[in-house]
Amino acid sequence: MILNKLGIQRSLKDNQLAENSWVEPIGYNLRKGRSVFMRKYVVIYRSVLMENLQYIGNIALGFVSYFIFIFVFINLWDYLYAEPGMRIAGYTKEQMIWYVMITEMIWFGSRSEAVVGQVTADIRGGNIAYLMNKPYHYTLYILARHTGEWCIRIPMYALFAAAIGLTMVGEIEGFGLLALLPSAISIVLGITINGIFKLCISLVSFWIEDVHPFQWMYDKLILIVGTVFPIEIFPAAMRPFMKLTPIYTVCYGPAKLVVDFHMEQYPEILSAQLLYLGVGTSLMFFLYGKGVKKLYVNGG
Amino acid sequence: MLTAVKGKGRHTSRTMSMRNQLRVCLLSIQYNIMREMINKVTFLTNICFMILNNASFLVQWVILFQLKDEIGGYTLKEIMLLWGLCASSYGLSHILFARVFSLPELIINGKLDAYLVLPKNVLLGVMTSSTNTSAIGDLAYGLIVASLSGFQVKRMLLFLLFTVTGAVMITAFALLLGSLSFWLVRMELFGDQMVNVVISFATYPDGIFKGAVKTLLYFMIPTGMMVYQPVHVMTDFDLKGLLVVIGYAGALSVAAVTVFYRGLRRYSSGNLMGARV
Repeated sequence: MILNKLGIQRSLKDNQLAENSWVEPIGYNLRKGRSVFMRKYVVIYRSVLMENLQYIGNIALGFVSYFIFIFVFINLWDYLYAEPGMRIAGYTKEQMIWYVMITEMIWFGSRSEAVVGQVTADIRGGNIAYLMNKPYHYTLYILARHTGEWCIRIPMYALFAAAIGLTMVGEIEGFGLLALLPSAISIVLGITINGIFKLCISLVSFWIEDVHPFQWMYDKLILIVGTVFPIEIFPAAMRPFMKLTPIYTVCYGPAKLVVDFHMEQYPEILSAQLLYLGVGTSLMFFLYGKGVKKLYVNGG
Repeated sequence: MLTAVKGKGRHTSRTMSMRNQLRVCLLSIQYNIMREMINKVTFLTNICFMILNNASFLVQWVILFQLKDEIGGYTLKEIMLLWGLCASSYGLSHILFARVFSLPELIINGKLDAYLVLPKNVLLGVMTSSTNTSAIGDLAYGLIVASLSGFQVKRMLLFLLFTVTGAVMITAFALLLGSLSFWLVRMELFGDQMVNVVISFATYPDGIFKGAVKTLLYFMIPTGMMVYQPVHVMTDFDLKGLLVVIGYAGALSVAAVTVFYRGLRRYSSGNLMGARV
């Protein structure tokens, strides 16, 4: 009886909702659809974030490698900047060390199991056959996981970098709070672009069994050419080409904004990042679309 | 007379046993490599890309040497030697004894059981049970770079000797830290970090470090004896320096093996069921 009553009440409520939605403007429904579309990725992101919060100790252990890397570079630049006030490629010693600290912070903080290990394992192991049928787009699901991972790591590394920088190097000359917001936006875009490109490489697993060698090459391109030196240190003839590589949008752009902020350079870096984001996302969808068509289900 | 015969017999049987053990180890490594070679394209891609991957570091040094002719007392040739030795030692260690670097995982998950029941030496069985394919690329890269840095027979022979001592040191260091998992938790992450620390320092000249750090590099972590001292011996031969490196490798190995067997007494098996194929 009670159940029946509740059932009636529920159906009445549903009818009311249906009636309301009938009279709602189309824009409202689109917004609602978009928010439902986004909500599932927000839930995935939040669950990964909560999961990673349990492993803060493990993340903090990664500080050892980061510290050693920075320590080596502090010693190296100390040696190369023999005279006080010396500038190399227009950078002071402090700016050069902070540049490495920021790029390495991005590098260490955005290391992701989702975009590399998980995608490769899913494709090679066949798990992708189950995941592709879920009510989400697989690549966006991975990106939501990736975001959940770096959202914990990056703030931790940023705090650690600031602590090392302020105690061992000193303040960045001319750094103001005005530079903080544009730099933060640029860093977030840089990490996302990097994640998308690494995901694209992982998606090549649809065709090639082991994509680790390609990941190494991409990592080395970013790590050796991008994180260690600013573009200005390379010969003038190479600089225009380097601006076309992911180095400019992933490492150089964000770090340059932190160590030597110029408002006039910001639109150039931001537009390059947005362009890269668009191209990377299209490539990601293209590779995934082509890849799933090649999928064979062997059973098991 | 009878005692002497008995002693001789025991000696012969020990020699046979050692030879047998060595044969098993070599066969294990051979089968590891053969298993990796099932997919030849992946096998070769891994090796070639690792060579390219290591070679990319030369770009960094070419740029740095444009700023200054020598860095920390090293010219580009010595840096190449340093890089070559580091890569070849790391490579040899990961070809022969790759499993040592994942020892904490075996201990924590109770996976040592499979090796304990084998009628051979436990430690050698564990150490030689896995091979890292890309490490072949590291070894090849090391040899190529060492040859390019100025080929001399004596220097090359020293390079090969120091590759072996370097591989022994990095393996022993990983074994020592990995064995601490018998007592402590989360040693797998700490061990990985420390091996990375050794490699991170090993690819930069010791001349840029000063004071306590330099002492630390020579005595606390094996970077100094693994690459710095060997490079000094190769560029300016010094017998005492050579013997110190060999002695250090031996001492570190003895320490690592002792800690492993001490820890093994504390090992308790897991109830994990699995098949080794």
